[in-house]
Amino acid sequence: MELASKEYLKEVMERSNADEKYRELAKGENASYTFMIQAEPHKGVEKDIVLGYTVEDGVTTDIWLGERKTDFTISGKYGVWVNILTGKTGVTKAFLTRKLRVRGDLMKILKLSAATERWLEILRTIPTEFHGEYAQYNIKE
Amino acid sequence: MVWVVEVKAAVFMGQEDVQVLNVPKPSIRSDEVLIRVAYCGICGSDITAYKTGNYVVGLTIGHEFSGTIEKAGSKVEDLKVGDRVTGNAVIPCCRCSFCLSGKPSLCESMEMPGVTANGAFAEYVKFPAMAVYELPEELSLLDAALVDPLACVLHPVNLSSFKPLDSVLIQGAGPLGVLTLETLKKSGAGKIIVAEISPGRKRLAQDLGADIVVDPREENLPAIIERQTNGLGIDILFDTAGVPETLSQNFTLVKKGGEIIVVGITEEPTPSDFFTVVLNELTIKGAYCGFNEYPSAIEMLSKGLVSAGRIITSIIELDEISEKGFKPLMEPIKECKVVVEVGGG
Repeated sequence: MELASKEYLKEVMERSNADEKYRELAKGENASYTFMIQAEPHKGVEKDIVLGYTVEDGVTTDIWLGERKTDFTISGKYGVWVNILTGKTGVTKAFLTRKLRVRGDLMKILKLSAATERWLEILRTIPTEFHGEYAQYNIKE
Repeated sequence: MVWVVEVKAAVFMGQEDVQVLNVPKPSIRSDEVLIRVAYCGICGSDITAYKTGNYVVGLTIGHEFSGTIEKAGSKVEDLKVGDRVTGNAVIPCCRCSFCLSGKPSLCESMEMPGVTANGAFAEYVKFPAMAVYELPEELSLLDAALVDPLACVLHPVNLSSFKPLDSVLIQGAGPLGVLTLETLKKSGAGKIIVAEISPGRKRLAQDLGADIVVDPREENLPAIIERQTNGLGIDILFDTAGVPETLSQNFTLVKKGGEIIVVGITEEPTPSDFFTVVLNELTIKGAYCGFNEYPSAIEMLSKGLVSAGRIITSIIELDEISEKGFKPLMEPIKECKVVVEVGGG
C-alpha cells in the first residue's frame, strides 16, 4: 500500500483499533493530530503529504487526508518519517533532535510516548510502499 | 458657601458597571495643567476592568485621550492655554532606579491616570505638565486618541530583536495587533501572519497589509506556519491577544532561538511549555506601556504612517459608553478601536 493512500489510512485505523495493547495504553487519550510529511524533490518525493486523525479514549474515530484544525501538528521531512516507520530512528530521538517538530501541548504528547511507540509498532506491520528513492525501504508483509 | 463645579465623567462602579455621573471639576497644582478632553479611546485594560471589576470603585476611567489645555499651573513653562495636547498614560516618579536608568515603564511608584488616578472619560482631566505633549497641527484630536496604544506597540517593538525581513506572527488583531502590524510592515518585516477570530478584525488586518490572516478556531495555524516558513517557525511572535489559549500555544510556533513578546495581559493562570523554551532556546519578553515612545507615536500619526481612520471603527458619545462601548467590546465582532467623543474638536 502506498504511504498515506486512502487504503493505507483505512488500514492504519483498522489495525490500531484492533490492537488491545495500544487501546489500553491510549485509554483516556482524546486528541486530534495532523502529520505533515514534507516533500524531498531531490529524492523523488515531489509533494508534501498532510494527513490527520482523531483519537477518542484510545480509539481512532476518524482519519483523513488534508489539513484541518487539530490539537497537534507534527512535521518533518519525508525521510525522517521513513526512518521512524522503519524503526531506524526512535520518535523521541527524532523529536529531541528537532528532526520532528511537534506543535501543540508537548507535556500531553510526551505522556503518551508508550502509546505512540506501540502505535508505531502497529504501523510497521502494514505493508508500505514509500515514494521516490525511499522505495528501497518499503515495508513488506 | 463653597460652590463645587461639577463635570460629566464615566465612573467605574464595579464589574460591568460604568456610569456617567457628575463629579467635581479637577483643581490643579502649580505643576499641572487642566485639559478639556476632546476624545478618549476605550483601551483593552478598561475592558478587562469592566469584565473583572479590578479597578477601584469611584474612579474616573480612560487614558487614551486628546484635548486642549484650559488652565496651566504657575510653574508650567512649556505649555499654555489653548494648546492641543495628549497626556502620557504613565506618570513615572523620575527618581527611582528604573526611571533613572531609562525604564519608566518599570517605575516603582508610577501613577496611571484612568487606572490609579482619575482619568479622561470626563469633560476635564488634570495632568502633570511633565507628562503632557503638544500635538502638531497636522494631527487631529481624534487621531491623537491613538497615541497611547501606538506608544504601547512601539515599546514592545523596540524591546524586541526585530529586524527587516523577519517573519512575524501577531496573535490578535485588536487595536494593539493592527498597530503592531502597521508598524512592522513599515519597518520592513518579512511575512506577517495575523491570528484573529473576529470577522471584522480579520478583514481589517487583511486590509492593513497582513500577508496571511488565520482564524485559529477554524484553521490549523501551526500547519500554516510550518508551510509559510519552510518548517522553521516564526522569527518573532507578538502576542497582543493575551488569552491563555494563544499564550500556551506560542511556544511551539516560533523557530529555534526565536522570540515571543507578550503585550496582551491575562489574569488567568496559563499552562506554559518551558520544555520547548529550553530545547529551542527561546526568548520571552513582556512589554508594559510605552512612556518613552510617546514622541515617536505622535510623529508617526502626524505623518500618516498609521491608518487611524481604519483602526477607529466607532465614535460614540460619553453617555453611550456602556451600551455602545464596553458591551460590544466584550466580544468584538466588527469593532476595533472605539473612541468616545467627549468635547470633540
